[in-house]
Amino acid sequence: MTIAFKPDETFRGDYTYRNSDAAVLRFPFPFPEDRYMYSVNIEPHVRSGPSDVFLRPFDVDEHYIAECRDKAITLERDPGRCQVLPHMMLAQWDTLELLMESLSADYPALFSLVKEGDDFGSRWTWTNRPLGIEQRFIFGDPATLPCEPFEYITRQAQGDFAICDQRDNNLYMDAGMVTSQADWSLEFDVGMSFMEWHGPVPLAHQTGVFERALKYLLMLRLGQPVRRLNWTMTINPRLDTSPESFPEWGPDRASVTPDNAGRKVHLRVELQTLWRLPRSNAILFPIRCYLASLEDLARVPKWGARLHRVLSTLPPELVEYKGLTRYLPAALEWLARHDDGRELPVGTESGITTL
Amino acid sequence: MIGETLRLKVAAVADIAPGLRHVRLVAADGGKLPPAAAGAHVQLVLAGATRTHRNAYSLVSRPGARDAWEIIVRRVPTSRGGSAYVHESLQAGDVLEAGWPGNLFAPVRTARRQLMIAGGIGITPFLSYLAEFAFSGVEHALHVCCRESERHAFDPWLADRPHVAWHWDADGHRLDIPALLAAQPMGTHLYVCGPAAMNDEVLAAAAAAGWPDTHVHCEHFGSALSGGEAFRAFLARSGIEVDVAEDESLLDAIERVGVKAPCLCRGGACGVCVTPLLEGEAEHRDHVLSAEERAAGRLIMPCVSRARAGRLVLDL
Amino acid sequence: MMHSDIKSRPVYQALAPDLAGSRHLLVVEGETLVAGRLDELAGLFAPVQATLHTWLAGAATPVAGLGRLWQLESAADVVDALACASRGYGVGDRLYVQGTEPFLWSVATAAAVVGFGEKQLRLHHAGSLRRRVWCTHCHGMTEGVTTSIVACGGCGRHLLVRDHFSRRLGAFMGVMVDAEAPGEVPAIEEVFA
Repeated sequence: MTIAFKPDETFRGDYTYRNSDAAVLRFPFPFPEDRYMYSVNIEPHVRSGPSDVFLRPFDVDEHYIAECRDKAITLERDPGRCQVLPHMMLAQWDTLELLMESLSADYPALFSLVKEGDDFGSRWTWTNRPLGIEQRFIFGDPATLPCEPFEYITRQAQGDFAICDQRDNNLYMDAGMVTSQADWSLEFDVGMSFMEWHGPVPLAHQTGVFERALKYLLMLRLGQPVRRLNWTMTINPRLDTSPESFPEWGPDRASVTPDNAGRKVHLRVELQTLWRLPRSNAILFPIRCYLASLEDLARVPKWGARLHRVLSTLPPELVEYKGLTRYLPAALEWLARHDDGRELPVGTESGITTL
Repeated sequence: MIGETLRLKVAAVADIAPGLRHVRLVAADGGKLPPAAAGAHVQLVLAGATRTHRNAYSLVSRPGARDAWEIIVRRVPTSRGGSAYVHESLQAGDVLEAGWPGNLFAPVRTARRQLMIAGGIGITPFLSYLAEFAFSGVEHALHVCCRESERHAFDPWLADRPHVAWHWDADGHRLDIPALLAAQPMGTHLYVCGPAAMNDEVLAAAAAAGWPDTHVHCEHFGSALSGGEAFRAFLARSGIEVDVAEDESLLDAIERVGVKAPCLCRGGACGVCVTPLLEGEAEHRDHVLSAEERAAGRLIMPCVSRARAGRLVLDL
Repeated sequence: MMHSDIKSRPVYQALAPDLAGSRHLLVVEGETLVAGRLDELAGLFAPVQATLHTWLAGAATPVAGLGRLWQLESAADVVDALACASRGYGVGDRLYVQGTEPFLWSVATAAAVVGFGEKQLRLHHAGSLRRRVWCTHCHGMTEGVTTSIVACGGCGRHLLVRDHFSRRLGAFMGVMVDAEAPGEVPAIEEVFA
């Protein structure tokens, strides 16, 4: 398998990010039905699913190099996007090991990991060919890496990562690398319990979604990761939609018109996976973000029509919470042109093999 | 690192003291095992002559070990048969099915100081704790209450571990639990693993000294109090009547007749096997159901709980 | 006391001694004392008086019956004193705090640093509802906020004061209210008096 990387595309400024046809077809479209509501939509993270992004536990795609660069820019401007509380060192090494092992096993042409042993104190050599990195270090000794192990490895991975420490029958968000988030602040939320960091989410608390999800996650087993999809919308293909930088990207929401909505408005899908970590017993929570413009999505007739129906029936609390209020009418007007009203099959598959 | 079951090969068995058997397990395919944490256990499927036992054992190998796992099994005369099987039948070269490691007794890593109290074979989870604490450098102490004759059985795991104190039942050697608890600084977490009576004594002493329950952790080790009077259960959805023998658990009996029931710890601690109880009165022995849930009588943990009298009807 | 659907908002408790505790430390922010409150506290804590220490922060006229009593100037002094005194406290002890929200969380955070666990702590919100607001953009704190929207003391942006609360910062989140349409600032209301 070869991936044609697009190393120069950008997620800010001139926004040159584009999806290839193949990237559109493998997009993890999140709506199996014409209406959307929160649920505990968690399933085993197996190596299969309705999109190719599920084939490997940590998906690498054509945007890998450009996303890692964008992450570095965000971190340089705001180092607080990476936070690790002091008791999380074991979980840091767990994360590094999991990512290095998975990436090198699943993408041997891109990554390699050579170990002289598995225990702490062993010499490891990590090679990341797309980013041109070769690093020798001692597993378990942070001084042998250019930065702490969690930051080191998550700088080389697409998407955000949080680590939840498990204690007192609760989960605490005690570490994170968060540079492409849907409007939540790690600096504010770090150290919070499960219920606290989900505090602002509307509607779901009342239906007990979070109580059930927490109980489930406390029992998450080693070797049996789970996944769910979450979504929101973003204007322009921007990864850094943090509250920190809201003054920069907020005005974009007022720039949407029915004519430019197809180009400007992006569906932002998060593939969230949850992993029990072996040494720390913590839970790793990678949040991998995929962006597709309405134009991209409308090239798949089922998706264009379904998105129109989902958005036009979205409860007002969710419209507000997801920040869609200002531009939703323009997006709906654009999408209406791609919805002929016919019945759509249940499921998220594109239903086509070429565009 | 994804998978559900493992095939393990017994690399070696050795008796380290009368009634204490050490077992070294490697991956049957010659590959690597998943790493496991301090406090982790592994559930082994032990195919005995008359029935299959599924027993969970603490891993005493160093945390993160991927070449081999080690367990230490005490022969329990009244056991369900798993420990008897390990002592009588298990041999080097045997291949066993096992689950991926679970962990219901992980240390709390925000603790300022880690205080461990072990009773006898209850030392096993703390052998991996000690290895982790030595690496992380957190302040810690282990107090072991055991027979005097057994105090050297664990020496191979305790070399270079300075923070271990031994206690046994003789004047001048008993552990003064209230005094120990009173001397602990702020931010100490307490872990106890031993026979039920000792666990209860430590938990009561901690409560009396005002310790909040968030700082007290108990592995209900060998709560495999799963035997009792024989009784009968009816699995309503499967339409199967099951006789539960004196020495087997309800869960074992359910599995014996081929009905799949979700489970994890098999010791009444994790809650995974919770099953709706449609009829009958249960004798609850788990650590999961609340007093209200027990009183309501609608749920049962078949891994440890039994019928108080007569027959149980389960929604399985 | 403000109630909110947002689950990060702490729920505070009335103060009463936890009889399971072995020693008890009561910390009271003087300015939140209404007439008779100290006598009331003395009555409530009478069962543990022998093992009670009370720290009064800010001007307050002490009363008898509060165990060993210390008078401190401010929240900052309480934080310093906790750091010094922590060696003398143990896992069985309890800390009770009465104060405004910023005071409560200054003390709670300092207590966590010296090793007090959440269950060793009881917090009672009294006095003003004014808020400490954390600016999401410049990360500066604005103290004593009583309005739904406030100009950030750090960067000057108009911040909408949300109910989302961080115990670590002892502060509510403030997010620029007119980022989408600069200058469109809704009416400012006095809500946290």
